[in-house]
Amino acid sequence: MGAIGYLYRRIFCNRVKMAFRRPITYFYILLILFYFTALPMTLRMTVEEMGADSPEGMITVLTVAAFWVIPANLIAYAKRKGLLYRNCDVHFLFPAPVNPKMVLLYAHLKTLTGQILLNSFVIICGALMFRVEAWRLAVYFFFSMILENLLEASIMILIYGSERMGERQRGIVVKAAYGLVGILVLMGIYAYVQEGLSMRTVTNYLHSDMIQMVPLIGWYIAVLHLLFTGATAVNVAGTCCYMILTAGAVTAAWRMKCTGTFYEDAMKFAEDYEEVVRSRRQGDSQKRLGKRQKFGKARVNWKGKGARALFYRQLLEYKKSRYFIFDMGTVMAILAGGGIAWLYTREGGFGSLDAFTPFMIPAVSSYLIFIFTAVNGKWAKELRSPYTYMIPDTAFRKLLNATAMQHVQSLVNGCLIAIPGAIAMGMEPAVTVLCILFYVIFSANKLYALAVAEAVCGNTLGTMGKQLLQMLIQGAAICMAVLGGILGMVAGGVLTAYLLMDLFLVLFTLIFMVIAALNFYNMEAV
Amino acid sequence: MLEVMNLTKKYGRTVAVDNVGFTVPDGKIGILLGPNGAGKSTVIKSIAGLLKYKGSIRIQGLNSRMLEAKKCFAYVPELPYMYDALTVREHIEFITRAYGVECPEEELRLLFDRFELTDKQDKLGNELSKGMMQKVSICCALVIKPRVILLDEPMVGLDPAAIKELKAVILDLREKGCTILISTHMLEMVRELWDVTFVMDKGHILGTYAKENVANEDLEELFFSVTGQSAVKDKMTAHSEEEKQYGTEESGKDGR
Repeated sequence: MGAIGYLYRRIFCNRVKMAFRRPITYFYILLILFYFTALPMTLRMTVEEMGADSPEGMITVLTVAAFWVIPANLIAYAKRKGLLYRNCDVHFLFPAPVNPKMVLLYAHLKTLTGQILLNSFVIICGALMFRVEAWRLAVYFFFSMILENLLEASIMILIYGSERMGERQRGIVVKAAYGLVGILVLMGIYAYVQEGLSMRTVTNYLHSDMIQMVPLIGWYIAVLHLLFTGATAVNVAGTCCYMILTAGAVTAAWRMKCTGTFYEDAMKFAEDYEEVVRSRRQGDSQKRLGKRQKFGKARVNWKGKGARALFYRQLLEYKKSRYFIFDMGTVMAILAGGGIAWLYTREGGFGSLDAFTPFMIPAVSSYLIFIFTAVNGKWAKELRSPYTYMIPDTAFRKLLNATAMQHVQSLVNGCLIAIPGAIAMGMEPAVTVLCILFYVIFSANKLYALAVAEAVCGNTLGTMGKQLLQMLIQGAAICMAVLGGILGMVAGGVLTAYLLMDLFLVLFTLIFMVIAALNFYNMEAV
Repeated sequence: MLEVMNLTKKYGRTVAVDNVGFTVPDGKIGILLGPNGAGKSTVIKSIAGLLKYKGSIRIQGLNSRMLEAKKCFAYVPELPYMYDALTVREHIEFITRAYGVECPEEELRLLFDRFELTDKQDKLGNELSKGMMQKVSICCALVIKPRVILLDEPMVGLDPAAIKELKAVILDLREKGCTILISTHMLEMVRELWDVTFVMDKGHILGTYAKENVANEDLEELFFSVTGQSAVKDKMTAHSEEEKQYGTEESGKDGR
C-alpha cells in the first residue's frame, strides 16, 4: 500500500489545503452542513405523514437504492467503466511496479470521502427521520464502510481486473445484472397481481421474504433487515449468504492473477473522461462519457462577414449535432411547461398561490434558469479560441454573434415552457408573447451576467467564484424585475406588469452586454 | 536489453502494428523512426504495458508485465500529465516509493539543477508549463535508475538548453549500460545519438540499421529511401527552392 497510500494521502491533504485557501470552500461547508441538518428535518414531516418514520422506512429507502446501485455497478465493472482514472495515473501509476490490483483499489479509494459523507448523511437521516437506535446505526456504518466495501472491491477486482474473461463473458455478467433486475421486476409484478396497486403493496413487496432470497441484492437487503428490525429466519439466512459471498469474493480476488491488461480500457476511459471534462468546461454539454459524439453531414449558407462567421460556424455545428439545438434545457422546459398546464387544469388553479397565477410561468422559468442552467454554452468556447480575437470585427459584434444561437435556443425553450401553461390558464396572446420574451431576456441576462463575471474575475476566483458573482449580479436583476412587476400591477394590471418586468430586465441585460463585450478584446481577459 | 518479438496490435479491425520484432542490446540507443501514424506510439505503449497485444516483450529477459521487469524500466510519454495536487518533489517521492528506490538529497539536487527545476520543487502539477512537466517527467524516469528507458518524442516542448541536457543524459545512460529506445519523427534531434535505428511505417518495420554498418549514410536519407517518401521530399525541396527564389526576387523588387 506504500506508494498508493502516499499518493492518496498527499493528494487528499494538498486538496484540502488548497480548498481552505479559497473562501468559496467555507460557503460550501456551510451549504453541506445546512443540507445535512435541514434536509432530514424537512423530510421528517413528509416521512411522518406517510407513516414511514420507522426503521422499516429506512430499509425501504436503502432497498430502493440497492436496486439501482448494485446492478449499475456490476454492469459498469463488466464493461470496464466506472473506475475513474486520470491521464496522470496512466502516465505515472500504470507503468510503475505496483500490483495492478492495488491500482484498482486506488480507484475505489478515491470514492472513500464521498462514501463517508453519504453514510454520515444516512446515519443522520436514520436517527432523525426513521428513529433507528444509535447502536444499530453504528453497526450499519461499520458494515457499510468495511464489509460492503470489501465485497464491492473484491467484485470489482474479479470483474474489472479479470484477464480470463473475454468480451463474451463480460456480456454474460451484464446480462446477469439485468437478470437480477428482471427477477426483482417479476416479483414486483407478482405482488401487484396478488395485491393490486397501492403504497401498502409496494412496502410489502420491498420487505418481502422472497426479495431477501435474490442473490447479492437480496442478501444485502437481508443484512439491512437483520440490522434494523431484528432477526428472522430469512434475514439470518440471507445475511449468512452475504457473509459467505464476501469471504469467497475476497479470497478469489486475493488469489486471482492480474497483470494489468485492464490498463488499455482504463486508459481509454481516462482519455474520454478528461475529454468530457474539458468539453464541459468549454460549454459543450453534448459530449457523453464513453460515447463518441456523432456528427452528421450538414451545410449552411454563409452570409455576411467578420464576426458573423462565428454565428454560422455555431449553426453548422448544431446542424451536425444529433439533437440540433435541443438539450437537457429543452427537456426541462417541456416538463415544466407540461407540468404547469397539467397542474392548473387538474386543480383548477394553484391553491394558496392563486393570486400569483399570471406570474407562475415567469416564476418557474426564473427558477429553472437561475438554478439549473449553469453551463457556459458555446459562446464560452469562442473565448478559448485565439481565432476569435483575430477576426477583424468589433468586440461587441463578436459577442452578439457568439451568443446569438443561445438566444435562439432560449426562444424555443421559452415557447415550450410558456405556451402550454398560457393555453391552460387562458392568458392573453400579448401577455404570452411577453412571457416568452421574459424567458429569452432572462436567459440572456444570465449568459451576460456570467460573461460579466468572466470579464471581472478572469481566472482569479475560479469557476465557482465566477458563478457566485454571476448569481449575485443576476440576483440584482431579478429584484429589479420583481419591482417592475409590482409597479406594473399597481399601475395598470398584468400586461403593464409584464411590460415593466421585461423592460427592467432588458435595461440590465444591455448593461451586462456592454461589460461582457470586454471579454472579446483580448485573451488576457479570459 | 529490450526484446520485442512478433508484436501485433489491433484496434478493432485495424491492424496498428503487424508482427513487429526488434532488439535493443544493453548500452545501446535504439531509435524508432517513422512518419505520423506509423505505429511507433502503439509499440511504445505496448512496451510500457499500457496496451493488450499479441506477441512477447522482454525487459532484461523478463516478461514486461512482471513487476520485476517494471522495476528496472522507465517510461517518458509524449504528453506529460501531472497530478494537479502533487508538487514536483512529491511526484519524485511517489516514484521512489513505487519503484522502491532511494534518491539521496544530493542526487536529487543535482538532477533538479540539471533540468532547472530547483526553484520549482514546491510547485503543484497544475502550476507547471508543458515544458516543465516534460522535465519533471524525465526526472521521474531518471530517479528510478532504469536499466531500460523508453522515451516517446522526448524533445517535444523542451527548450534548447533542456534538449541539450537531455541528450547529455541519454549519452550518460548509455555509458552506464542502460538500454534506451527513443521514438521520434524528428530526425535532426537524434542524429548524434543513435546506435541502431528501426524505420517503421504502416505498422511494419521497414528497415533496421546499425550505425557501424551505415556510418557514412545520413539518417535522413536512409529514412526517406526506406519509407519511399524521397520523391515527396524532393518535390518539397524543389518547391521550397522556388519559394526562396521567388522571395529573393520579391525582396529585390522592394529594394529597388
